[in-house]
Amino acid sequence: MSSLVGFLSLVFAIGINFYLFLSRYIFKFQKQKFNLFIRFSSLLTLLSFFSLMYAYVVSDFSNYNVFQNSHSNKPLIYKISGTWGNHEGSMLLWLCILSIFSFFFSFTKNIEDNFQKLTLIIQAFLHILFGLFIVFTSNPFLVNSILVNEGLGLNPILQDPGLAVHPPILYAGYVGYSIVFSIAIAGLFQNTDDEWIYVAKKWSLISWTFLTGGIALGSYWAYYELGWGGWWFWDPVENISLMPWIAGLALVHSLMMVRGEQAIKKWIVFLSILCFSLSVFGTFLVRSGILTSVHSFAADASRGIFILLIFFIVTGFGFLVFLLKEPKKSNALNLLFINKVSALVINNILMIIATLTILLGTIYPIIIEVLYNKRISVGGPYFNSTVIPIMIPGFLLMSIAPILSWQTNKINNSKKYVLAFFILSVLVILQSFFLDFNTWGFVGLLLGFWIILASIIAIFSSYKIKINIKFFKIINPHVAHIGVGIAIIGITCSSVFQNELDFNLNEGDKFNVNGKTVLFEKIETTNEINFQSLRGKFLFDIEKNQSKEIEAGKNYYPVSKMITSEAGILHQWNKDIYFILGDQKNNEWFVKVLINPFVSFIWLGVIIMIYSGLIAVSRR
Amino acid sequence: MNRIFILTPLIILLIICIFSLVYLLSGKDPNKPPSALLNKDVPIFESSSLYNAKDIIKTKDIKNKKTLINFFASWCSPCKIEHPLFFEIRKKYPELYLLGFNHKDPTSDAKKYLKDDGNPYDFVGVDSDGLIALEFGVFGLPETYLINEDGKIIYKFMGPITMDILKNEIEPLL
Repeated sequence: MSSLVGFLSLVFAIGINFYLFLSRYIFKFQKQKFNLFIRFSSLLTLLSFFSLMYAYVVSDFSNYNVFQNSHSNKPLIYKISGTWGNHEGSMLLWLCILSIFSFFFSFTKNIEDNFQKLTLIIQAFLHILFGLFIVFTSNPFLVNSILVNEGLGLNPILQDPGLAVHPPILYAGYVGYSIVFSIAIAGLFQNTDDEWIYVAKKWSLISWTFLTGGIALGSYWAYYELGWGGWWFWDPVENISLMPWIAGLALVHSLMMVRGEQAIKKWIVFLSILCFSLSVFGTFLVRSGILTSVHSFAADASRGIFILLIFFIVTGFGFLVFLLKEPKKSNALNLLFINKVSALVINNILMIIATLTILLGTIYPIIIEVLYNKRISVGGPYFNSTVIPIMIPGFLLMSIAPILSWQTNKINNSKKYVLAFFILSVLVILQSFFLDFNTWGFVGLLLGFWIILASIIAIFSSYKIKINIKFFKIINPHVAHIGVGIAIIGITCSSVFQNELDFNLNEGDKFNVNGKTVLFEKIETTNEINFQSLRGKFLFDIEKNQSKEIEAGKNYYPVSKMITSEAGILHQWNKDIYFILGDQKNNEWFVKVLINPFVSFIWLGVIIMIYSGLIAVSRR
Repeated sequence: MNRIFILTPLIILLIICIFSLVYLLSGKDPNKPPSALLNKDVPIFESSSLYNAKDIIKTKDIKNKKTLINFFASWCSPCKIEHPLFFEIRKKYPELYLLGFNHKDPTSDAKKYLKDDGNPYDFVGVDSDGLIALEFGVFGLPETYLINEDGKIIYKFMGPITMDILKNEIEPLL
């Protein structure tokens, strides 16, 4: 029953959008009525999504999708997250978020009616494309042809609280760029004044903030669930999310900086189209099954071709409009040796090069396989040695960019900065001289600390310190950059100074980690609702009274016959001690211990970035 | 000049779409990477027996007979899953020469494994440093190769073989 409601409301929503799309040419609507229809179709899409969720919650196995991906033994939260833990459901979520963005956009005030209408019509067009994709190739409301009373289960690796919220947040970021795309295209068509830029700014900030949160959640999940001890693997799916993130970062900065320069406006339109194109491209790569990873649920050529077509139409349409309707008036850029505009231009160029570099690395294996029928993989070594060096000058520039002037080459208080940089360099050199030296470690620490220091100096020397909301809004760019600096320190330390220890242990053995004695207490197996768990129990620092217990092990999910590894992590502010329980051999357990210094700084930095994203959204 | 700059994204888009389309239409399965060795001669190898170091097997020893080569190890749990199937192949096709390569495994573990689970192979070659696997282009264990009488690799499978794969993909070639 709920499946029927879901399917009908989905089809009805697509129908309304089709009607709205035609309304541009055939029927003419009043603004009020038009907005009403948009909201109604959004609610219908939402209803469709919630009926699927309902089918999951009540374990309605007469729905084929639920039967394939759920199990009545699962805890409620994973029944709910199971809704988007599969290809069909996640595409419905995609569409649902698209509708939500249209819904809220229809409430935007202070913009021209025709412009708003055109934006929403483009959104309706996207809704139709993806809606048809769902109905024809990925229908989550198919009826199960056999009578069953149990489902097949959800991929156990996805049964995790972090991952339950990761897809919706990430999608909110991806799909949020659809509205930025629509705004930019509508802006091109109407070619009115610049008000669309202020509208686009807000929405691109919202999308970027969501995308940041989504990527961070996925990364954190990989860190504690995959049990490899790292948090970023340059996996194709990670790259796919990183591309719109970097392009979106360039977009946000351009939007902040634009002061009527035509060249930058053109650039903004380009970036807006690019961001959404990259999002759709990412959806294509993951959903077509071209890439295999935990994210690809099913490989089906017809789906791939359909979504490739959507990608082609959307991106081709966007760039074609850009080609034909480019803003005409040219207004020279005020480029000086070092002022805000030139810093912005340099940073944007770097970010685009980085995006293209990642794009090349991601699609290169596909091209090679088509041409030479050979499978190659492009991984960490390529990206580390290309993307990071490209970004470094950008990071350097970032530290001083907010205090640069618009009109002149002068930097206020430049002496202070030179002195601070000099002292900092000496300190970092001393650090690397007395502790272990590593080129990347040196560069990363210097950069990270320098960004933080320069931002703090800028805050203290440029503004009067007050504790009120307005002040926090003013210093927000600096705060965001401090967040980046903190994250760089975390990234550098945890990757360069990571320490790995291997042990073969019997139960009851004591071993030494980082000068502390650890007791391998025992191995315990228990039966949970939907899995069996095997845990090695470790007592960390047994010489102290408050020794900490760490559990590392594996879960076995009988329904899907899968084993997942569960790392045991002891979080301390300055390091994570990461336990991985390996296999048993001759009654000895293989235990790997990783010491990851300053990992928490990465998450702290990301939280600061998200915070400043939120502040920037609220700033007008 | 300006036009060319604006056209670039469209050109890139076209290139990406064409390659992706060709890739999708070619029906490639990302789980089955193409093997550069398919329909090529077996790589030259030389390995000693697990049970008797003096007993050596070389490439030319498997000429003129159909051979199934399987890379396995005692530490590889998927290998355990496919293991019983080799007894079935053994029974059904006594003519077929079953050659197992024990990959990066201590000898004692390998012997214990074959003692506990049985030894279906005609010959168990030792590949302790993984060099033979490297020659064959092994991605991960287990991996299975079928060699015809002319010494050409005619089939390759990554991962544990199953009844379905045995029935539908391997048996037609035997």
